[in-house]
Amino acid sequence: MTRLNTNQWLALVLGLLAAAYLAMAWQIPSFPLPRPVDSDLFPKVLGGALLLLSVLLFFEKPAPLAGADEIDHEANQGPLLLTPWARVVITALAIAAYALLLVPMGFVLASTLLCVGLTAYYGYRRHGVNLATSLGVVLVLYLTMTRVMDVYLPTGVLPF
Amino acid sequence: MDALNNLMYGFGIALEPINIAYVFAGVFAGTIIGMLPGLGPISALALMIPITFAMEPSSGLILMAGVYYGAIFGGSTSSILLNAPGVAGTVATSFDGYPMAKQGMAGKALAIAAYASFIGGTVSIVFLMLVAPLLSKVAVSFGPPEYFALMVLGLTAVVSLSDKSLVKGLIAAVVGVMISIIGIDLQTGTERFTFGSIQLLDGIDFLVVALGIFALAEVFYMLLRGGGGKAPKRNAIGSLKLSGSEMKQIAGPIGRSSVLGFFTGVLPGAGATIGSFLGYSMEKRIAKDGDTFGKGNIKGVAAPEAANNAACTGSFVPLLTLGVPGSGTTAVLLGALLVMGVTPGPMMLEQRPDVFWGVIASMYIGNIFLLVLNLPLIPLIAKILDLPRPLLLSLILIFCMIGVYGMSFSVFDLLLLLGFGLIGLGMRLFGFPAAPLILALILGNIMEESMRRALQISGGDWMIFIDKPISLALLVLALLSLTLPLLKKRRKKSA
Repeated sequence: MTRLNTNQWLALVLGLLAAAYLAMAWQIPSFPLPRPVDSDLFPKVLGGALLLLSVLLFFEKPAPLAGADEIDHEANQGPLLLTPWARVVITALAIAAYALLLVPMGFVLASTLLCVGLTAYYGYRRHGVNLATSLGVVLVLYLTMTRVMDVYLPTGVLPF
Repeated sequence: MDALNNLMYGFGIALEPINIAYVFAGVFAGTIIGMLPGLGPISALALMIPITFAMEPSSGLILMAGVYYGAIFGGSTSSILLNAPGVAGTVATSFDGYPMAKQGMAGKALAIAAYASFIGGTVSIVFLMLVAPLLSKVAVSFGPPEYFALMVLGLTAVVSLSDKSLVKGLIAAVVGVMISIIGIDLQTGTERFTFGSIQLLDGIDFLVVALGIFALAEVFYMLLRGGGGKAPKRNAIGSLKLSGSEMKQIAGPIGRSSVLGFFTGVLPGAGATIGSFLGYSMEKRIAKDGDTFGKGNIKGVAAPEAANNAACTGSFVPLLTLGVPGSGTTAVLLGALLVMGVTPGPMMLEQRPDVFWGVIASMYIGNIFLLVLNLPLIPLIAKILDLPRPLLLSLILIFCMIGVYGMSFSVFDLLLLLGFGLIGLGMRLFGFPAAPLILALILGNIMEESMRRALQISGGDWMIFIDKPISLALLVLALLSLTLPLLKKRRKKSA
């Protein structure tokens, strides 16, 4: 069996998504009063268009992966946690943790921790500068948003 | 005479102390963000939206417009000093700007970029002032079928002019529209694709998508490219002075590229990037010393810089007069205006002259600020390029989070932001252009509404889109914009 190329894999995934989308579009309830165009028409057209485009993508010759040549392959040789993909995964996990801890910890603490932690993880070794800059920027942002723009940000464990 | 009176009225608004401060803050922030490689004007504008939503619409747009043309202005600095364009619209500037910097003439290249950007920007504001009211008079007669066709053209033009695959561009656009219709259908009250989630009833905020697809995805992409490293070494700036003969040499290219750039910017889909490349290639073709382009020719810096700033102003024409953005960047601007409660379009001139003329007048002031910022202060501002990359990446993340949370106060939106960041990274890696998605996201709802209103008028007869001559012409243009690049590709293959 011949192996599928990148475009064909993508086309299959998008095709499945389009099919699921169409199935959901067909379940959109009709408006009680008859009208020329109901809520379901546009989604049906979109689902159909995505399905058709997936078929076209399946037969399109793939170009070399955009930016793949720019990925830092040398870093792949280093410790697992410092490889480029590990950096993306850990950053994503840190963002998810930040989202969940923002309210209980408060904006200033959570943001400073995220900023200092990630900067150190990305390889910046001047920890004093890191802490001062991160805390300074976060505080300026916090005070601007809460005092100047009257936007509420969670205070969390800190008293302000 | 009318235009002059209106402009004076606009200056009355733009010269209010608070608005002067906003222009300055906008162009300054834009210059800094535009300078940083990776963060383009779309990210810059998206990051600014949370700051503007509580503002007066005229002040908000004055700030946002300043960020936009400031980013284009600032992008040239990293193009010249690092050969790493901060924004796509300044890629052409690096062709001759970087060789000049390597020859020890970085200051000269920066000065040329500043003068060319200033003149390009100023000339195009005059055109904007004259063309926009005329176009809005024509657009008053547009009904739902014409608007629907216009939006289809806007989308297809952006898709066809992206340098990536046409099919992938169209997929991005369709997905953008799909995201836009999530939530309650305002015409019938029916829930669509909410999966029973209360958070999705109001739909997905475009800021979450814009920051995710552009700014957060850019952070992930920089991490893949080894973003933890040190800031790249930049060339020394040197003298900023230009001789009389050099001024004479660049005068022609600046004049021609300003006009070309403006009209390129007006066209849907084309923008600063295409404008700058057109300006560069036109000058290369007509210059007697065209063979020295790419080796540090000063005209090769002047032409794209005048063109990209003029195109940036030109792109305001369809946004302000038709209410239909012609690019991803102006789509974000439209989104910001809608958040502030202003719907741009042909009636805006009558209903919100303060916004329209205030912004135009502020552009004159902004361009002067930019000239001041980019000439004597450039050695100081360029130090931002030495900011350690790890710190920069973390700070961008914080700005994205505060942008989203400050607007919706929703943890769910922060998680959505992460999701869109990862989708944006995938799009980058697999060659899907992001601009059609964001444009479609903004236009999707309005497009559906126009289509349904048109069909309501015609009693469900689809021929309404073909019976109306303007709508037909726009749809034919949309079809051509998709088929011509394909035909060209096929002809190239067979040659």
